Amino acid sequence: MSRAGRIGGAALRQIILLLGITIAVFVLLRVVPGDAVDVMASEGDITVAQEDLLRRTLGLDIGWPGQLLAWGADALGGDLGTSLRYGQPVSDMVWAALPVTLGLAAAGLAIGLGLGVALALLAMLRPGLAALVDALNVWSIVMPTFCVGLAGILVFSVWLGWLPSLGHGLVPAVIIGLDIGGQIAKPLMEDLRETAEARFVTALRSRGVRRRALVWRHLLPNSLTAVLPLAGLIVAGLVGGTLTMEVLFGLPGLGALLLDAILGRDYPVVQAAVLVLSAAVIAANLATEAMQRALDPRVR
Amino acid sequence: MAGALTATPAGRPKRLGGWLGGWGQLGLAITVLAVAIALLGPALSPFDPLAPSGRRLLPPSSDHWLGLDALGRDVLSRLITGTQISIAVGLAATLMAFALGAGLGLLACAVGGPLAWLFLGAMDLLRTLPSILLALVLVAAIGTGTGPVTFALGLAFAPVFARVARAGYLREMGSGYVTAARGLGASRVRLVLVHAAPNLVGPLLTQAAIILPRVITKEAVLSFFGVGAAPEAPTWGRLIAEGTRFVERAPHLVLAPVLALAVVTLGLSLLGDATRRRLDPNRVAG
Repeated sequence: MSRAGRIGGAALRQIILLLGITIAVFVLLRVVPGDAVDVMASEGDITVAQEDLLRRTLGLDIGWPGQLLAWGADALGGDLGTSLRYGQPVSDMVWAALPVTLGLAAAGLAIGLGLGVALALLAMLRPGLAALVDALNVWSIVMPTFCVGLAGILVFSVWLGWLPSLGHGLVPAVIIGLDIGGQIAKPLMEDLRETAEARFVTALRSRGVRRRALVWRHLLPNSLTAVLPLAGLIVAGLVGGTLTMEVLFGLPGLGALLLDAILGRDYPVVQAAVLVLSAAVIAANLATEAMQRALDPRVR
Repeated sequence: MAGALTATPAGRPKRLGGWLGGWGQLGLAITVLAVAIALLGPALSPFDPLAPSGRRLLPPSSDHWLGLDALGRDVLSRLITGTQISIAVGLAATLMAFALGAGLGLLACAVGGPLAWLFLGAMDLLRTLPSILLALVLVAAIGTGTGPVTFALGLAFAPVFARVARAGYLREMGSGYVTAARGLGASRVRLVLVHAAPNLVGPLLTQAAIILPRVITKEAVLSFFGVGAAPEAPTWGRLIAEGTRFVERAPHLVLAPVLALAVVTLGLSLLGDATRRRLDPNRVAG
């Protein structure tokens, strides 16, 4: 198969996954008894006649296949429907939440990659630092970000009083970063050490290539291919961690939006949040696959 | 900390302790303690975990070792009941993920055909999504409560086992003894169930040991989010969520369940990692 064909095949599989998830979520949410109107009724005084009227205006009175077709047609046109609880267009709510989630995820990823690469490089040059890499690796294996986040709230906001525990993005980004850094630093360090012994490195050295150029231009790009297979795990951990941190630290991102919508049975919002989040995971996976092909000639 | 993941003692120690290594022994000790607390549960609880007393938000004292919560309930008793729920849900969900993922995965490998291919492909794709997202969606659909949460977590983690089963199947199918068995006329089903499956027990058990602490954490996260076990059940996540509201006045309300969760996941992870190092056939040493 050609290279373009293989990338196309991967993209096609991921798009089928996205479609499957979207349809599965849609059907699952609707075959279960209890809808948004029930939740509203349990929260305030609504008569049965009002309930029926509400269901009709919200389009909840037709069966799920009809609702799915109507939703799908609208979604293709960029209209994700209206929130059942807040009456706002869902796309507006998603657009408002997206920067928070993207910002936190990007900051966490940047800290994680920076920390992981820096530590791995330092540990290659100074073998004594390998212990630090090992410690961070153990940390990311045994310490759930959820626990670290709660500890962060306790330490920074309650005992040190440094920052308001809610609405601050730096601590959660560092926590996510530590987790990612711990995952990549060790395999990267091991591969860097191995590559440093390779014959092409000896050849380059004997040709008088300077150490800095050797590390940045030859060693690091070579060893990055050792970390790329971890990308899928890292992406899943990044998105999962971001969702948890948003709720934990009260950041109004997609995770907080999704949880609020689940608790309120706000179907269109649940649907849109799941769609956007899984699309983000899928896009990230496709991007790393493309990167792997670009960096590693063996995969081409 | 340094040697935790790299130490691979040489030789072939006869006792379990040596087999696990130092960090693995610590993990085993914590695990045994947690399981004992979960099993003994009510017998250890000094008070009724659900019964309020008159006083509220009391700091730890000699009567109430971990103090009282906002409704005057004994935190230690609630923590013990929470341990019971966490361990039970964790084990049940891991078992379900194992049975679903590994069982159906191996069956699909044995049977073959488009339906099996579709199942394995779907599992492989679902694995790329964050487990907390899958669990949240499932809980949104099937509702909250101990049963649904166990079911949701079991489903969310099944793809991991399906992948291990499939990868193991592909590896074993390429090995000499399977070719020999095939040459002797063994059927595909026999090849998978009689020849390949016993060799997959190690990797699959390793995976289960790695997954268990993650399932327990995710259960706590779901409970914390308010979509976990029944609202009145004192799960760790629920205790944390209740405690965060009084975090300034009574930080011990959050600290106690967070420490419990951290220590138990630490113990299980150390044990799981020690098991992985010893059982993983891909590693030459150890």
